[in-house]
Amino acid sequence: MKVAASIKNFLLSLAGFAAILLIWQLGVSFTSVGNLLPSPWAVAVRFVTMCTNTVGRKYTLPMHLLVSLRRVLIGFGLSAASGIVIGIAMGRSDLIRAIVRPLFELVRPIPGVAWIPMAIVWFGIGETAKIFIIFIGGFVNIVVNTFSGSRQVDENILNAAYMLGANKVQAFFKIVIPSCVPYIFSGLQVGLSTSWMAVLAAEMVSATEGVGWIITAGQQNADMPQILAGIIAIAVTGLALASLMRLLERVLCRWRVRGS
Amino acid sequence: MSTYKKRQFRLRIVSLLSILVFLAVWYVCTAVLRLAPAYSLPDPITVFQSFVTKLSSRVPDGATLPQHIWESFKIAMAGYLMGVVIGVPLGIAMGWVSWVEKIVRPVFDFLKPIPPIALIPVMITLFGIGIESKACIIFFSTVIPSIVNSYSGIKQTSQIHLWVARTFGASNLQQLFTVAIPSALPMIFAGLRVAMGVSWMGLVAAELMGATRGIGYMISTARNLLRADIIIVGLLTLGFIGIVISLVFDLIEIKFVRGGK
Repeated sequence: MKVAASIKNFLLSLAGFAAILLIWQLGVSFTSVGNLLPSPWAVAVRFVTMCTNTVGRKYTLPMHLLVSLRRVLIGFGLSAASGIVIGIAMGRSDLIRAIVRPLFELVRPIPGVAWIPMAIVWFGIGETAKIFIIFIGGFVNIVVNTFSGSRQVDENILNAAYMLGANKVQAFFKIVIPSCVPYIFSGLQVGLSTSWMAVLAAEMVSATEGVGWIITAGQQNADMPQILAGIIAIAVTGLALASLMRLLERVLCRWRVRGS
Repeated sequence: MSTYKKRQFRLRIVSLLSILVFLAVWYVCTAVLRLAPAYSLPDPITVFQSFVTKLSSRVPDGATLPQHIWESFKIAMAGYLMGVVIGVPLGIAMGWVSWVEKIVRPVFDFLKPIPPIALIPVMITLFGIGIESKACIIFFSTVIPSIVNSYSGIKQTSQIHLWVARTFGASNLQQLFTVAIPSALPMIFAGLRVAMGVSWMGLVAAELMGATRGIGYMISTARNLLRADIIIVGLLTLGFIGIVISLVFDLIEIKFVRGGK
């Protein structure tokens, strides 16, 4: 019954997807939309040629994706590591909160993308600037979520642990960290998608490779199929990253899965 | 004064000191020790002076700071309102009426994973670098979170409340307007907040890539001229606007969502 329902749902969304492609194709074939947009078939063909032939000087589309993913992984890794530590420290210690919070509140409301020009002035247009932008994009979300998670640790459980003779270190690793994990994950989830957006923006402003570059290069050559094929690659990769994160969350905090 | 109050007061002082120490370190590193050249990191006093001059001066990018802010604000509002006005009702309809869900869902699932920033080149190709392309990008970045949150807000309506309403003879529309929408309101509101953040980010990105006015344009011109002081003024302005927007949202939320509490 359940399997039948999910197969039916799958077929329905497949039909919906086919309908979009059909409307797109009909619009391109029979109306003036064709002057602005290429047909879905042309985009698909382009997508395949971009996977086998080089785009730009030396990379194929999958290689460009790997270049962007590498940047995201470095930047996001740095922001996750520092963001979780700072978030928990701010949540658990009044003194650290008093010191760090005003400075953090200064940075928090600035959109990550706006740092691009500053990063270029500071670090040039190389890898460091891009990783800095990705770092900023992820960092803010991770700190905010980790902080609010570590403020919501149940004091009763903590006191019970102390009463049963746990020392500070034990209480921290056995109670504070586990009860923060769901919040940390929602921060990581948002942070990862922001990082993916930040790498695009950074590559669109200055780069010679990467998926963001593919799109801007397409714009400069007025090559719409290349832009759209690039967007599809970006969307699919973004979706894959989000699903991967979700999977990791399911495995690591099975006792409390957000939503469904 | 109780010990608790005393402690809070002391922590306030620490916070204040933290900002002062930050500014002092910044000043000493730049103006006294000259660790960084002025074109990459000017001292805080220069930044403040640039801010004051920029309030009325059109140098170097052709508009004063208030004019840039107004330009960005106008575009952000146009795209944002359009996105909310279309997105929220659509999300509610998707959550309440199953045939709307069946039709819209696939289109939506197709568009949702596309980052709005990736659409900037498409929009610039289609509409040029004027207000239309930016408003479209903001519309796109606003409409997605508006739909997502209204949809899941409606979907999370407690079945029991709906049963009660039905038992007392409420019509379908009455159930929607008196039970489902009020209970989805906090969720919808959270969506509007997220949408505001994302659209502001999309706007700045769009202005960095193609514009003739706006805060993003001011920052990217300053970068070309190596005027780091104006970049920092721009960043702080963006941060300040972000704080004001979030305060406005707090006020609206307290008044309309939590019933004045």
